[in-house]
Amino acid sequence: MKENILIIGGGIAGLEAAGQLLKLGYNPIIVEKSDHLGGHVADWNRLFPDMSPAEDLVSRLIAASSEANIFLNTEISFVNRLKDSWNIMLSNGISIITRILLFATGFTLFDASKKEEYGYGVYNQVMTNSDLEHWFNTGQDERIPEEGPAAMGFVHCVGSRDEKARNPQCSKVCCITAVKQAIEMKQKFPEAMIYCFYMDLRMFGKKYEDFYISAQKDYGIRFIRGRVSEVSENIEGKLVVKAEDTLSGKPVKVTLDLLVLMSGIVCNQQTCKTAGLLSLPIDSDGFLKSRDNIADITEAPREGIFYAGTCTGPKTVPETLAEARSAALEIHNYILNGM
Amino acid sequence: MDFGFKISPSSAVNLDNVDLTLYNRLLEAEPDICKCIACGSCTASCPANRFSGMSVRKAILNLQRGKEKETARMLSNCMLCGKCTMVCPRGINTRHLILSICKLYKEEAK
Amino acid sequence: MRERFLTGYNDFVLPFMIGMIFILSYCAISLVRIIMQLPKEDRKKFFISLVTPKTIAKNIRDIFCDCLFHVKLWKRNKLLGYMHSSIAFGWFMLIVIGHIEVLFYVPHRAKLFYFPIFFRYFVAETESTMKGAFFFFLMDFFLLMVLSGIALAMIKRLQSRLFGMRRTTNPSFLDLIGLYSLWAIFPLRLIAEGFTADISGGSFLTKSLNHVLNSFLSDHTNMLPAWWAYSCALGVFFIVLPFTRYMHIPAEMLLIPLRNAGIKIRHARKGLAKAQVYACPSCGLCIDACPMGVMKTHIKDTTVYLNRQIRRNNEARIEEISDKCLLCGKCTAVCPVGVEGDKLRIAQRSIRRYAINQDYSNISAQMLPISPGNISPAAVSAPESAATVKNGGKVLYYAGCMTALTPVIRKSMESILTKAGVDYELMDKDGGLCCGRPMMMAGRFDQARQMVEKNTEIIMNSGADTLLLTCPICYRIFKEKYDLKGIEIIHHTQYIDRLIRSGMLRVDKDTTRYVFHDPCELGRGCGVYEEPREVLSCAGELVEATKNRKESICCGGSLGSLSLGFDKRKSMTENALANLMAGAPDIIVTACPLCRSTFNRYADRPVEDIAEIIDRKCVTSAAGPASLNPGGSN
Repeated sequence: MKENILIIGGGIAGLEAAGQLLKLGYNPIIVEKSDHLGGHVADWNRLFPDMSPAEDLVSRLIAASSEANIFLNTEISFVNRLKDSWNIMLSNGISIITRILLFATGFTLFDASKKEEYGYGVYNQVMTNSDLEHWFNTGQDERIPEEGPAAMGFVHCVGSRDEKARNPQCSKVCCITAVKQAIEMKQKFPEAMIYCFYMDLRMFGKKYEDFYISAQKDYGIRFIRGRVSEVSENIEGKLVVKAEDTLSGKPVKVTLDLLVLMSGIVCNQQTCKTAGLLSLPIDSDGFLKSRDNIADITEAPREGIFYAGTCTGPKTVPETLAEARSAALEIHNYILNGM
Repeated sequence: MDFGFKISPSSAVNLDNVDLTLYNRLLEAEPDICKCIACGSCTASCPANRFSGMSVRKAILNLQRGKEKETARMLSNCMLCGKCTMVCPRGINTRHLILSICKLYKEEAK
Repeated sequence: MRERFLTGYNDFVLPFMIGMIFILSYCAISLVRIIMQLPKEDRKKFFISLVTPKTIAKNIRDIFCDCLFHVKLWKRNKLLGYMHSSIAFGWFMLIVIGHIEVLFYVPHRAKLFYFPIFFRYFVAETESTMKGAFFFFLMDFFLLMVLSGIALAMIKRLQSRLFGMRRTTNPSFLDLIGLYSLWAIFPLRLIAEGFTADISGGSFLTKSLNHVLNSFLSDHTNMLPAWWAYSCALGVFFIVLPFTRYMHIPAEMLLIPLRNAGIKIRHARKGLAKAQVYACPSCGLCIDACPMGVMKTHIKDTTVYLNRQIRRNNEARIEEISDKCLLCGKCTAVCPVGVEGDKLRIAQRSIRRYAINQDYSNISAQMLPISPGNISPAAVSAPESAATVKNGGKVLYYAGCMTALTPVIRKSMESILTKAGVDYELMDKDGGLCCGRPMMMAGRFDQARQMVEKNTEIIMNSGADTLLLTCPICYRIFKEKYDLKGIEIIHHTQYIDRLIRSGMLRVDKDTTRYVFHDPCELGRGCGVYEEPREVLSCAGELVEATKNRKESICCGGSLGSLSLGFDKRKSMTENALANLMAGAPDIIVTACPLCRSTFNRYADRPVEDIAEIIDRKCVTSAAGPASLNPGGSN
C-alpha cells in the first residue's frame, strides 16, 4: 500500500511537494482551508523577474499534483498521537492515519489597517499590494481612476521591520514586488509620476538589480529613501504623504492620487494553532522553528514532521519551490531509511 | 611656501578626531539608539521640524559625528509631543532620548 | 472612685511621657515648617480657610470621615475599612472616654498628661455605681474593638489576599518596630488593666481577665511590670513614629485642611508635597491599582515607594520612579488619604535641570498654516444648515499631534460635523503646535507655558466660539491651563452627545455590544464619564468593563511615562484589554487616539474611536430643530 503523507496547505509549496511525492510513488493528501489551490500566488498577476503569469505556474503545479487527494475548505480539527503515527481528524469528518506530516501552511499578509497612520480603509485612495494585484487580474477597483493616477506612491515595509506592528523581520519580497508593480503601473499609465518610499532596498535575487536599474532608467520611477510617517487628505480629496528624504536630509511632502502599501509577510496564526496541536515550537519571529536554520530547515524538531515554504519565514517563489522539492526528498529518505 | 592656492577647510568628518565621550555616555543611558535604521519617520512627523529642522535621526547622527552644536540647535524647538516615539518602527523611546541628550549636556557644562 | 496614691505619680509613666513630649514637639516643629514652606499666597489662603465656617465644617467632617472612620476604605473594601477604623476610632474613643473619666472622678488631675492614659492604675473603686459600670463597659468595648482590628492586622500581614489585596508593601525596619509596638500597646493595656480590675473596677473584658489572672497570679505586685510594659510600648511607638509610616496619622490631619483650602503642589519636596508624602500610610492600595503592577519588576515604582524614597532623599530612585510612571492617576483615585501620585511625580520631574532648554520665541503664529491671517473658508457645511449656529460662531477643531497619526478619527469627526451641518474650521490641518500637555507631563512648565501662549493667540484670533478636541490629552491641558475667554472647550464625546440630544444627529441603534474604555486623561483627568456612555447607548448596547470609570486601567500607551520603553508596555496593554472583556463586547470603543492605537496593536477584536462608530451609525438629518445651537450654552 502506498504511504499516506498529509500536506497541510495547498499553496505552491504544498502543490509542488505533492507533485514530487506522487512521482516518488507516495500518496499525498492535501488539506487546504480556502476554496482554491495556489494560495497567495494564485491571487497574484505576474511574477518577477520574468513577468511570467502566476496563473501559468499555479495551473502547472495543480496539473502535476492532480493525482493527489485534495480536500478544499478543510482544516485540521484535532490530532491523536498513535504508537508510531498520527490520527488526524479533519473538519469535514474524515480522519487520516499518517506517519508523515508536511507543513506548507504559508503566511498571512499583514493587515495594513493596523498601521493607522497610513489610513488603509479610511482613505479611498489607499490600497495594498494584494489589492493592486487583484486589480491587475480583474481590472476592478474603484480606487484606481480610469485615466490612471497622475501621481502615485508605493510604501515599502508596511508591517515589516516594524516592532510596533509586532513584526520585526524583513519580508524579503516587498522591495522587488514594489519595483515590479511600479513598472507595471508605469506600463499601464506612462504619464503617471511614481514614487517608491523605501527604508533600504534589498535587491538580493537573480535579476533584481536589473529590475531596479530598469525602473529608474527606463521607467523614471523615483525612489525616495524615507519611510512614510503620515498620510492625510487635502480639500480636493487627494492624499498628502509626508516622509523624510533621508538622503537630502529634508522632509518631503507630496500629493498623490493613489498610495499602495506593501503589506509584509507575517506568520499565519492558524499555523501556530495547528503547530500547538502537535506541540511544535514557534521561533522568536513567530514562524515555525526548524530543527536547524541552516542544514535542516525543512525538518521539524519532531520526527516525521516536515516544513516547506513560508511557514518557516518569508521566502520568494523560487525559494519556496526549491524547499518543497527538498522536503519531498527528505520525506522520501525518511521513509526509505525506515525511521 | 606659497603655492599660489590654498586648500579650503575640509567639510569631511574625520572620524579619528571625533570625541565620543558624550555619545558613549548617552549610549549607556539609551542603548536603544543603536537600533535606529535612519528611516526618517521621526523627522517627517515632527511638528518642530519646520521651525528648527528638528530630527531625531539627524540628532543621533550628529552626535555620532561629533557635531553636538547642531543637535542642540535642533532640539531647541522640540515640543516633546511624542509623535516620533509613536512612529518609530524600531520602538526607540525617542522622547526619553531627547531628554537624555538635554540632560547630558548639563553634566558636561559643569 | 478614690485615688490610690496621694502623689498621683509612678515612675512607669516616664516612657510614655518622654515619647509623648517628643512626638508633640516634633509635630509642632514640622507643622510650622510645612506652613512656612508654602508660598505666601497659599499660606494666606490656608489661614483664611481655617477661619471660614464652610471649610471649618468640611475639615472637621473630613477628619472624622477619613482619619477615624476611613470611609473611602470602607467603600472599597469592608474588611480593610473595619480593620483601620476599628483601630483608629476605637483608640480615639479610648482617649476621649479616658479623659471624661478623669474629668468626672478626679478633675484636679486633668492637667496631668498621663493621668487619663493610666487612669485605672491610679484609682480604686469604692462603690459600684451605674455610671462607673457604664464607663467601664464603654472602655472595655472600645478596647475590644481595637483588639479585633489589631488581630485583623496581624492576619493581614500573613495573608493579605484574604483582604482582597494581591500585593502589599514591604515594611522597612523602623516600620516593623512601629508596627510591633503598636500591636503590643493594646494587649498590654488589656493585661495591665486586667491586673488592676479588682481594685479599679472593670467590665466584661478586664474583670474576666482579672479572674483568670487571679487564679494563678494573685499577688498585686505583678501589676506594676504590666503597666511598665504598656507605658514602654506607648513610648517606643511615639518615639519611632516620625520615622515610620505611622507619621501619616498626624500628617493626614494637616493634609486635609491644606487640601480643603485648595492648595496645589508648587514644590517637589516642600509644603503640600511634603504633607502628602508624610500622609502616606503605606497601605499599598496603589500597588494593586498601578497598571505597571502587572510586571513584578515595577512593584517598587508605585506611589507608596516614591513616598518612602522621598522621605529618605534617595535621589536616584526618586528620579527612576517618577520618570517611569504613566501618570494615569489611578493611584490618586484610589488613595484613601489623598496623596496625588501623578502630580507628585510631575513635581519631581520639574526640579530637574537641563542644559538645553527649549524655547519657542522663534515661532510666530504667522508661520503656522492656520493663523489669524490666512484662515480659509470652511471646507464643508451646507448653506441651509448654517442657520443652526447662533452668533455666527464657529467651531474650531484642533485634532492634535496624536490624531494626526490616527487619521480615521479626524476623518470621522469631520464627517460627523458635516452631517450635522456644523460650520467648522480645522486648526492644525497641516501641522500645528503641540498643546503643551506632553511637555507639562515632563515637568517642564516654562516650555509648556510658552506653547500655551502661542496656541492661545491663534485660537483667540480665529473668531471661533467653540474649541473641539478629539484628544483627551489636549483636552485636559486646554481645560486646566488655557485661558480662552468666551470660547467653550469641549471634547468630542461631549460634543457628539450634545449633537444627538439637540436632534442635529440621529443615530441608528442596533444590537452591537460596545465596551467603553475610559481614557485616563478624559476620565480621571477631566471627570468625563457620562457623555461617552450616553452616546454609545444611542448606537447599541453598552456593556461595562470589570474596572471602569475612575478605576479604569491605563492602556499602557501613555505619554506620561518618560522612561518606559515600548517592549515594557505590552503586558500592561494586554492586562487592560483583558479587563475590557467582561461583557463580551463586539467592539472596544475609546475616545483617545493613543488608547486606540495602543489597543489596536494587541486586541483580538475591533478597536474604534467613538467618532468612527457614530459616523457609521448616524443618519443624515438636517431636519433637526434649527434653533438649537450645539456649541452654545453651557
